[in-house]
Amino acid sequence: MKKQIDIAGLEGARAIVLHPEHDRLPVMLRQLRAIGLEVESAWPTLPASAITADFTLYDTDAGHDEQFPWPAGHAPMPMIALVGSEAPGRIEWASRTGADALLVKPLVASGVFASLLMARQSFERRKALLAEVEALRERLSARQTIVRAVSLLAKKTGSEATAYDDLRQLAMAWQMTMEDAAVQIVQHNETTGAYRDCS
Amino acid sequence: MFENFDIGILYSRSGTYQLMSQALFAGAMSAIEDVNADIALPIRFTPIVRDPAGDLTNYAPMCAEILSTSNARHVVGCVTSSSRKEVIPELDRAQATLWYNVPYEGFETSARVVYSHAATNQNILPILGWAMRHFGMSAFLAGSNYIWGWETCRVARTRLEASGGTVPGERYLPLGDTSVEGLIAEIERCRPKFILNSLVGASSYAFIRAYAELGRRDPQFAPEYCPLLSCNLTEAELPVLGDAAEGLISVGPSFCDTPTADGRGSSLERTAYQSVMTLAAVLAQGVRGPFDCYLAEHGARHGIDPVTQHKTLDVHIAQVRGGVFQILHSWHDIAPDPYLTRPLRHPQFKKTTLTAVHA
Repeated sequence: MKKQIDIAGLEGARAIVLHPEHDRLPVMLRQLRAIGLEVESAWPTLPASAITADFTLYDTDAGHDEQFPWPAGHAPMPMIALVGSEAPGRIEWASRTGADALLVKPLVASGVFASLLMARQSFERRKALLAEVEALRERLSARQTIVRAVSLLAKKTGSEATAYDDLRQLAMAWQMTMEDAAVQIVQHNETTGAYRDCS
Repeated sequence: MFENFDIGILYSRSGTYQLMSQALFAGAMSAIEDVNADIALPIRFTPIVRDPAGDLTNYAPMCAEILSTSNARHVVGCVTSSSRKEVIPELDRAQATLWYNVPYEGFETSARVVYSHAATNQNILPILGWAMRHFGMSAFLAGSNYIWGWETCRVARTRLEASGGTVPGERYLPLGDTSVEGLIAEIERCRPKFILNSLVGASSYAFIRAYAELGRRDPQFAPEYCPLLSCNLTEAELPVLGDAAEGLISVGPSFCDTPTADGRGSSLERTAYQSVMTLAAVLAQGVRGPFDCYLAEHGARHGIDPVTQHKTLDVHIAQVRGGVFQILHSWHDIAPDPYLTRPLRHPQFKKTTLTAVHA
């Protein structure tokens, strides 16, 4: 299903703008407010409230890692880079900090709305992908646990053929998933060197 | 003593949208006349008139010419969004202001523009919400192939689908194209509950006439069962449509209940007139300098939202009956929300009016 851009969610969203004082900065702040956001600007230190902001817009000309309380690339909100110098080092830094969109200076009103939408889409997509990777990793590790539990059961009953069925029976008896039952068996074996007694 | 101010007038009085431009031009010029005849006002306007003749490439040079050859710092003009976007860089250079008096699709807030007519939440949203309640949840979308058509249809599609409705068909015609047979055949096949028409100029007139003909042939498509909706139809375009206009439904900040000529009394003419009068009132107070700074502080005094420079407006849904618009539903003082990010500013419907008239 094609995901539609949710515009309404922007009302009252909070944006932190991390940028030194500049003649053109008010133009961009005005535009953010016109779109409906609450705006706070700061430099060089991010206020503590930044951690719960909905967007961070940050200067890449004078910006540096220490300004952010989170590890590079792990911002808890969409990040928009405000790019002046296009020196490769600065672009690389913008990318490493996890820019979800960028606005090229001089700071103007146009492009701000588009970059907010792009940044949020890209941030949401990245978050969803990371969650999916995490879930797959868990399933992968659960599969290894099942293999270990089945081989432990096979040793006990002497039958590889029925061990998988035995695990399923145990899971049903313990009223848990097969993955959780496998974890129980493996852990029990690790702590006591014995099988959990199911009788 | 009167202080003289040059004022730019930049309307195309020929080309595909000339009927709209003529109404706007008439409104601006009659306001200038009224200002100049008012002995109580300490100012006089000298109009600096340019006619881009519907050619997009004329707008920026003509706007630049007005600003460089006169002392005008205010321009009243532009109909299409693309022409407005053309002149904004020129206005930026001269720190001048455009008074834009036409309904448009929103998603813009230039500090150089006062948006005096309806934006997204004052045109597309209310007419769509109203039609969904009165006619049903399935709409055919027809538009001219440029930003007004695309964005109007996009908003309509998003809203409909979010409310569980459907869009059985969506079709765009090139600007000025009048071959509407395919469009009519598709509508006949789809049998929607209503049609949103964001075609403009000649395409729109051809479509409206052909659809009226379809309604006569098959009562299923008569206005009482499957009406044609428009977000920007005004009195200015009724004469050219004649009988084919009967039953059309539109949305706007004002409608005129008596027949008029040359678009007089239409919301376009009224808005252009009002913009010039507002400017006169501000200048008469001795206000000089960057206009956006003045609006940021005092815009609300004139109904102009200081943050977006769009106007707070009444919103009326009206239907052409007996050659004039008859108002069917009204909201008052709807604050602008050009980015559709402020749901509290969207016209609301009372739950109790949720009735299907033609189930």
